[in-house]
Amino acid sequence: MKLFKTLVSTAVLIGFSAGATLAANIFVVGGKPDDPFWSIVKRGAEDAGKVVEAQGGKVTWLGPQNYDNLGVDAAELIRQAIDQKADAIVGPDWVPEAMDPAFKAVRDAGIPLIIYNAGGLKAADRLGAMNYVGSDDYKGGVAAGEYLTKAGNKKGVCINTLPGAANIEAFCGGFKEGMKNGGGEADVLPLPATSFGSATAVAQAVKAYLLQHQDVNAVFTIGNVDANSAMNGLTQAGKVGKVQLCGMNFDETILNNIKDGKQACAIDQQGYLQGYLAVAILNGHVNYGLAVPTREILTGPGIIDKTNVDATIAGVKAGTR
Amino acid sequence: MTSTLTPAPNRTRSGLALGRLARRPEAGSFLGLVAVLLFFGLFGGSAFTSAAGTASWLNIASEIGIIALPIGLLMIAGELDISVGAVIPAASLTAAIISGHYGLPDWLGITAALGLGLAVGFLNGLLVTRTTIPSLIITIGTMFLTMGLTLGLTVKIAGSTGVSLVPDPLTKAIFGDYLGGMFQVTILWWVVFVIGLFWLLHISPMGNWIYALGGDKESARNVGIPTKRLTIGLFMLSGFSAAFVGVSEVMVYQSAQVLAGQSFIFNSIMCVVIGGVLLTGGFGSIVGIVFGTITFSIVNQGIYFTSMDPNIGSVIIGALLLIAVLTNDTFRQLALSYSSKKGPQS
Repeated sequence: MKLFKTLVSTAVLIGFSAGATLAANIFVVGGKPDDPFWSIVKRGAEDAGKVVEAQGGKVTWLGPQNYDNLGVDAAELIRQAIDQKADAIVGPDWVPEAMDPAFKAVRDAGIPLIIYNAGGLKAADRLGAMNYVGSDDYKGGVAAGEYLTKAGNKKGVCINTLPGAANIEAFCGGFKEGMKNGGGEADVLPLPATSFGSATAVAQAVKAYLLQHQDVNAVFTIGNVDANSAMNGLTQAGKVGKVQLCGMNFDETILNNIKDGKQACAIDQQGYLQGYLAVAILNGHVNYGLAVPTREILTGPGIIDKTNVDATIAGVKAGTR
Repeated sequence: MTSTLTPAPNRTRSGLALGRLARRPEAGSFLGLVAVLLFFGLFGGSAFTSAAGTASWLNIASEIGIIALPIGLLMIAGELDISVGAVIPAASLTAAIISGHYGLPDWLGITAALGLGLAVGFLNGLLVTRTTIPSLIITIGTMFLTMGLTLGLTVKIAGSTGVSLVPDPLTKAIFGDYLGGMFQVTILWWVVFVIGLFWLLHISPMGNWIYALGGDKESARNVGIPTKRLTIGLFMLSGFSAAFVGVSEVMVYQSAQVLAGQSFIFNSIMCVVIGGVLLTGGFGSIVGIVFGTITFSIVNQGIYFTSMDPNIGSVIIGALLLIAVLTNDTFRQLALSYSSKKGPQS
């Protein structure tokens, strides 16, 4: 209902503004606004939208009511944006099979398009989009590996609690390469299905592995829950200070651990920048014909460590991280 | 089948004493335990036998063990409870939301969490006794109900799928501390559960009722056992135990996640079966379940101490389960035929 109202009000606005100025009417398709990650992306898009509005334009967020039928619902939202006479559209290529035809319709209508968050540069090229703005799973792992080797850790392990999942394998694969780039090496510890979702099982596996492999001094985890479990296992093994921990994503506990020096770093895909940059680029393009020649604009991996943890905590409070 | 721990009349021949031992439900699982201890003791090296190595499987065993015990009782009574997997995170999040998100006193969050476990158990028991639907199906249903409510309410209230909680020092000491820096206090709680449920099953009269329930429900009711109340009570016990584990997890890790707990469903059933409890009910013992839990945890943890490829860890766990069931079965057959030939059943 809310969505409908937004659409109606937008349509009315367009009616008034059409022909009046060149102001950009930008539509952003994304996740549910109450999704913790997407609320941050939305915040970025809205902040960039302040400039858009100052120049007489408007940014409209279109998100699905739920994720039950994500690909189809998102494709429908893209078509809605076309119907609302969007001047530019931003969208994630979550489910290419369902969404690519809608994105092609955007291109056919001659509307500037940016793919963000999912799909990568490949999707942007395939769909004729201007650019891709987003993170890269593999590079996230690489960044962690290189960070830890730079800190003097030469033997690492990636704790894979979901063996077989594509993005998780990319995290671990990237980590191995990052450690290698820094002159170290790394193994992957895949946990059996009997451990999934049990913090104790993950903590004890990390502890056992560290006790058995005394030379390992760098641990990488694939998510914030696992990072907390690994921290626990590390503590039990008496390895705090000897083994450094880095992980994908973060939460309150992790930020506090980084602040206290217990955890070395966390890797963030920086969703705020995804919304902010995509909208800012399109606004400049529609209004003034600006373009960014750099293709594939990476918003992640961003590294959170002791040097920027206070700013990150402030960002969490402000809803931008 | 009657209670398996009823003291047999005095017999003079030593062969019979051996037979009596072998006839105990925990005989097979005891041998299994010795086998895995020897195996990992030999191949796991000194790290496995050290205090830290021992703590590593004991910590795991304590959490699964607290849930495996009431699941075992239910299985002896001929029922199953799948919903424990959803009650664990539901309880963790109830405690975390009340005491962490809203900042209310810890005891309130803990009481609410345990109450939630009892409530889900009560619902399970009520549905099982009022309908003819098998408990497996009913508890799968309540599992999804609980899971969905947990996710929906958590996101609605806290705005994310994880909620953190920093417990008071006292609460932390009771539920979430480490003894000697490595042994979870949950281990002591597990011991409490073992003693309490040992009394319930093997000493109190209710124990025989539980065996009778699993042996033949109809006759159990006919001899005057309050089968409905007993069934509901057993389900509430398993709901309570799952909630208890959920509470201690949140106190140990100081954060609760919607996604936790699923692995406990199959792990607890596996421990119980390795411990010699019959899936069809009427046969099993508390000591056996404890042996089964320890065996399972040693295998689960021991893999990391050997040079085995962790990718195939699940293969070993699966093989262990099958071997355990086979030996238990063989043992039971042997023992039963042995005793029936030698004299009257005790």
